[in-house]
This record gives sequence, structure tokens and C-alpha cells, in this order.
Amino acid sequence: MPRKVLLWAVVMTAVLAAVPLIVHDTFYLRVLTEAVMWIALAITWDVLAGYTGYLNFGHGAFFGLGAYTTAILMGHAGWPFPLAVAAGSVLAAVAAFVAGMPTLRLKGAYFAIATWALARAVQQVALILEITGGPDGMRLPPFLHPQFFYYAMLSVTAAVFFLLWYLLETAPFGLKLKAIRENEAGAMALGLNPARIKIQAFILSACPAGIIGGIYAYWITYIDPASTLGDLITDQAVVMAVFGGLGTLIGPVLGAIVLFAFKTYFWAYLSDYQVLYLIILGALIAFSVVFLPEGLWGSILSCTAKRPQLSKAFHPLETKKEAPEVPNA
Amino acid sequence: MPDAMLRVDSVSKVFGGLHAVDAVSFTVAPQEIVGLIGPNGAGKTTLFNLISGYYRPTRGRVFFREKDITGLAPYTLARLGIGRTFQIVKPFGGLTVLDNVVVAALLKHPRRQDAERHAWEVLEFTGLADRARDPAASLTLAGRKRLEISKALALEPSLLLLDEVVAGLNPTEADRTVQLILGVRARGLTIVIVEHIMRVIMNISDRVVVLNYGQKIAEGDPKEVAKNRAVIEAYLGESVA
Amino acid sequence: MLLLPQAIVDGLLIGGIYITIAIGFSLAYGVMHIIDFAVGEWIMLGAFLGYYLNQWFGWEPFLFLPVIFLAFYIVGFSLQPLIHRVLSGRRGNPVLMGLVFTFGLALMFRGLALTGFGFFSRSISSALAEGSWFFQSGNFFVTIPVIRFAGLSYALAVTLGLHYLLKKTDFGLAVQALAQHKESAGLMGINAKRVSSHVYGLYVAISAMTGTIFGCIFSISAQMGPDLTVFAFFVVVLAGMGYLAGVPWAAFLLGFVQSFFLIYLSPAYTLLAVFAILYTILLISPTGLFRKGV
Repeated sequence: MPRKVLLWAVVMTAVLAAVPLIVHDTFYLRVLTEAVMWIALAITWDVLAGYTGYLNFGHGAFFGLGAYTTAILMGHAGWPFPLAVAAGSVLAAVAAFVAGMPTLRLKGAYFAIATWALARAVQQVALILEITGGPDGMRLPPFLHPQFFYYAMLSVTAAVFFLLWYLLETAPFGLKLKAIRENEAGAMALGLNPARIKIQAFILSACPAGIIGGIYAYWITYIDPASTLGDLITDQAVVMAVFGGLGTLIGPVLGAIVLFAFKTYFWAYLSDYQVLYLIILGALIAFSVVFLPEGLWGSILSCTAKRPQLSKAFHPLETKKEAPEVPNA
Repeated sequence: MPDAMLRVDSVSKVFGGLHAVDAVSFTVAPQEIVGLIGPNGAGKTTLFNLISGYYRPTRGRVFFREKDITGLAPYTLARLGIGRTFQIVKPFGGLTVLDNVVVAALLKHPRRQDAERHAWEVLEFTGLADRARDPAASLTLAGRKRLEISKALALEPSLLLLDEVVAGLNPTEADRTVQLILGVRARGLTIVIVEHIMRVIMNISDRVVVLNYGQKIAEGDPKEVAKNRAVIEAYLGESVA
Repeated sequence: MLLLPQAIVDGLLIGGIYITIAIGFSLAYGVMHIIDFAVGEWIMLGAFLGYYLNQWFGWEPFLFLPVIFLAFYIVGFSLQPLIHRVLSGRRGNPVLMGLVFTFGLALMFRGLALTGFGFFSRSISSALAEGSWFFQSGNFFVTIPVIRFAGLSYALAVTLGLHYLLKKTDFGLAVQALAQHKESAGLMGINAKRVSSHVYGLYVAISAMTGTIFGCIFSISAQMGPDLTVFAFFVVVLAGMGYLAGVPWAAFLLGFVQSFFLIYLSPAYTLLAVFAILYTILLISPTGLFRKGV
């Protein structure tokens, strides 16, 4: 099955790359650009959440750091776009390292709320500092070429997808992550250094988010703490990944497409959408956790698997019914 | 005298006021099978944790091939050649049986293909090859214990620490495991085994070390130790299987 | 220097509020092993119920606290089975799924509140908000707003009440047993589900009452939840997760930090200072100041 999926991914990428040649309406192009952006955010969140078992509720901070770095370097220092975005991704990586050091030692639940708190700290900083423009935000030099941004988002997202596919599904790294997720103490006895591997996963999750943030900033030409460093970015990425299916790469992609399609449709028909959207997001998360723990993709796999046992290998966060424990010596 | 594979030198572990392990010393020669026995709560698993890097000794030192390994992390020890199984077996449930072993095989075979090949070999040796593609969570207790051993073996260790790999198995499964352990030793490994089941320990150990309340109370040939007064008293009430 | 006594007093008073924000949260974690992302939202909902009760009936908020308590106790008690279902699910890592679930709840509550109450902030009017006590000794002077003192008294009452409940009653014994070892507790005849439901009801009810009082002292808005959740988390990490006895100390410490920043430095940096403390604590001693955390 994985090979087929990979083939589909390549086809989809090719199709998406061809879209601007056929579709000339910039509205649709912009919608697709944003959809692709969310795919990247959802799959990068899943690297740490589904594969490693650590929920980063501050994921949006990496996005925001990338955005602000790009904005500051381009706006105040006149850096060219690619360099500024690269700098943003470096900052995101550093931030992941700094934030990860104390927090990845904690259990997954603490980590979730600690990262959430740290992300709010980042937002606070942006609100206070002058260089970030405070609550009023920042403007970037305008560059009105929708095709450029579409290809920028698409190429980054596709690159990230295939890189993660390689690292997580083919190369040993993904296996190591899952081992640590399932049984960290046991993994240590097999030669794995959990602290180091978790930090690597964290940085792997953060860097692309930073790049995407940088592209976003230049694309939208205006960013502010509320929209770029607020909870909503993380909230949506979380819903997309959880609803789509944790621990896989296809799950978050699916979740991103479905949720984003819903949001776009919704937005066109409801004016007060922001608040209602929040309710729906929350309800969707709660619903997924209770009724759809493996997400859309996981459920699809369960239903269509010929050997229902094997599909369990795809269930990322499953706890097993333990065999009766032997009493301690 | 040849270098001891493992030398435990007056090792103690104190939790609060409790001496879980109290000044225990013993040596293990290469390719020996040493049995570690004692009543419940004697400190056997704690001692294992001390040797395999999960606890740091309060006092004393541990030497592996005359190299001081006291306080080193478990993953460093794995690299140096110490493998261990855990008493409470927790396989990587979300992974297949094969992948469980591959994780361990990656230590000495960093490339996935090589690691998989090595993992298959190990599974053939331990008799789990037919379950390789099944989720680890689907194994019975016997299978899981066998998987534990497979994972430790895939590290290609020189010293293997087995913690209660036979307990909880029915006699047939237990005998199979004993054969496996002897086969492992035949491949050149040194083994320290903690076990409750007297029949197993007495039959396969070259030497036996007895702990009680964290202290070593006897050491030597299994038959001699079985007649030791202090040992019998420690086990008073416990039936010798 | 002249302001030092005031800074200390302010710290005590704010710390009192923090105790009540955090204590229910710590209890819920200790017993049910759930980090409730929605703690701030429960406080917010309680605050709004208090606001509307005050608006519609003109009652004095401090007097109808029991009503708030009862109402939210029932809500929490009824909600717990759902949480339990999530926490003991066969699929998914239970603790993390529980977290994600409460995260979803928090979003929902926030959205509902914004829909129902709008974006504006309000205050709950209380008779106690009028007065202040004023002490002076030489050059030192201290002002204690009565309402804040009432808040502190409430905090102490809740803390003592919980202490009594946990240490001196059979129910408390059951709760402690459950917190320490769920399986064994069941074997002793303790109905884990029932006790957990009560604990969750208690936690929600206390949080809601805290909300009402908070609304008398500060202003409330539909978006106030997240900041409060962050503070609850801070206090509990500082105290040690699940270590209730540490909560008052941690709360007062944070109260002092906040009041010092308010009086001597810039209030804008308070939150950052608190974050910095949190980060340092996590780095040095993740099990809390007293190293008794779980």
C-alpha cells in the first residue's frame, strides 16, 4: 500500500504544478496556495505528534517566527526574499532546540501545555517589541504575483512531504521515533538516545513551518501578532492532523484538505464565521478523539484492509492490552 | 586470569532509607551463565537496572571488560555490548514483530536493509520468523518474551542480561526458552539471568549468586548453593520447583 | 522601599486568587491524570454565570457562590463519564487523547462564549468592591481593598476545605487511594468512576466560583480563559504536578513576582517574567520546587 500512496502523491504534485497553466483565475490560485500551506503545517505537526507522541500546542509559533523574521529582514534590512526565509527557518530551528531542551524531557502531556505557554510568550514578545511593530504588526514590500507564491508554497510543501516520507517511512529515523513513542525506556536499552532523537524530530517539525511562515508573510504582505502568532494557526493544524489521522503522512494531508475545503465554503456563506469556526474546530477535535481516534485515514485503512490485524500497525498511538504482568522481583 | 566480562564491585543503591542493593560484589567470566536468584524484593531487578545504566549506584562501581561503566546511559552500554530484557515486557506495540527487532539491529547495522536482514536472522534463531509481519501487540506472553530476547540479541551484545524470561510460561514454552538460552551461550555470549523458577536456574547456570534483602548471601555452584543454610532460610516457605 | 509592604500585601492577595485557579487543576491531575486544557474556560464560564446572576437578580456575588458551586458541580459530574471514556479508550494514548479532548472543549467553550457574550469585557459589581482598608505606620502605608481580601479569604477557605475533605473524610481517603493506585483502589471497593466524577465536579465547581470572584476583582471577557490556564499551569508546575500542598507556596511566589513587576517594573513584562521562571524551573527541576511532582 505505501508504494501506491507514494505514486499518488507524485501524481498529485504534478497535477497541482500544472494548475496555474490551466486555471487563470487568481482567486482559485490563492485558495489553492493556502490549502497547500495548511497541508505543510498539518504534516509537520504530525511529525512530533503522531510519530513521536509529543503534542506541540505551540506549533504556530514556528510559523510566526518564520513570518516575522522574514518581515523584519526584508522590511528593515532589505534582505532578499530567499535569504530572509532561510533565516526564518534557522530561527525556527534554534527556537525548537531552545524550547525542546527542557520540555522534551517531560511527559507528553506536560510538553503540550508547556509549548502552548511558550508560544503565548512569543506572541507577548511580538506585542511588546518595537521592531516587530507591536500590536499593529508589520508590512512587507508588496510583490503581487500569485503564481510565484503558489509555486513557492507548492514546492516547499512537496519537498517537505517527500523528505518526511523518506525520513519517516523509509529511513530508520521514523522507526526510531515510533520506538521512542511506544516505550522510551525500552528504546534506550536498544541503543537509542531519546533526548537527541526527540530534539531532531522537533527541529524537523519546526524548520518547514518557519519556511512556510516566511512565504506566507511575503505573500500576504501584512502580519500581526493576532493573526500570525495566535492560537488559531496551531488549533487548525491540530484539528487537521487529528481528524485526518495521526502517525501517518496521508492523514494530515487528508485532514487539511477536508477542513480547509469546509472552511472556504463556510467563509463564503457566513459572515460571523470566526467565532462559529472556533466552536466547530473544538467540537471536531472532541468528536474525533471520542469517535474517530485513528482519524479519517486510519478509519479508511481499517475498513479496507484485507487483514484487519495488519492495519493495527498503522494505528500510531495505540496502547495494547498488556499480557498479565509478572510480579516484580 | 582472563579479563572478567562483568565485575560488580561493592555496589549499593539506596532509596530514601531503603538499601535496595547493599554492597553486592561478584564477577562473571566470559561465556559463563550466572544465575541471580533470591526471594521477592531481594533486589535482583534493581541490580540489573544498576548494571544496565537505568540507575546510578549510590556506592560502588561496575566494570565491563575492565572498563568502568558506572553511571553510563543505557544506550551507551548497548553500544558497548550489553543487552538486556525487561521483566515487564513492553514491546513496541504499534510496530510489527520484525520492526521491533530492526530497531535494535540498527545499532550495528545503520542501513535499513542490512538491519532488516540481520533482524530476519535473529528471528529465525529465536523461532519468531513466522510472526515477523504481525503487529507485536498480537503476540502472546510467550511470544513477547521471545521478542524481548530477539531484540536484545539483535544488538549483537557480548553480555546478555535476562530478567525473568521464563516466568509465566508453561513448561513446554519454558523448555524452549531454556534451549534458546543455551544456544545463545553456544554462540559465545555471556549471560546473567534472573529467574524465579528454580528448575531452570539450577539446570542452566554455571554459577549462582543469591541475594536477600539487597545483600549477597551465597555464591557458587548451583548444587552447593541449594544446600546452603542461609539460602534455604531465605526461601523458607518458598517451594523449590 | 516605601512600597515594599504594599508589594508584599498585593502579592499575598493575588497569590490567593492563583491558589484557587490552580488547586482544582492540580487535584484533577493528581486523581484523574488529566491535564485539563479547559480550566481557564471553566473559570470564565463561572465568571459569566456570576455576572448574569448579578445582573438579572441583583444578588451579591459572594452570597450566591454556593449556587455557582452547585450548578457547575452538576455539570462537571455529568461530563466526567465522557472524559473517562476518552481516558480509558482502547485506542490511542489515553493521557494525550484526554489532553486533546479538553483542548477541543476549551475551543468550543471559548467559541460559544464569544458567540453568546461577545468580545467585550465586563465586571461583576459587588458590595465589597467599594471599600478599602488603610494602614499606616510611619512612612509605610498599605492599602488593602476589601474585595481582594475577600478573595484571599475565599482562597484560604477553599484550601482548608479541600484539606479537610482529603485528609479527614472517607471520601478523601478514597480520592487519595485513587490518585495513588487506580487498580488497587478498585480492588478495595472504591468505585473509581463515581469518585472521579465527584472529583471532576469538585474541580469544575471550584474553578467556576473562582471565576465569579475573579470577576468582582478584575474584568472578565470571553477570551480570558487561555491566560488563566497558563497561570494554572505555571503554579502547578512550580508546585509539582499533583502535589497539592505545594500549590499555596507556588501561588504566593507567583503573586509576589507579579506584584513586584506591577509596582517596581513594567507590568507588560510580568507575563514574560513568569514565562522565564517557568522555563528555568522546567530546565532545572521539572518535578517542581519541592521535587514532589509526578
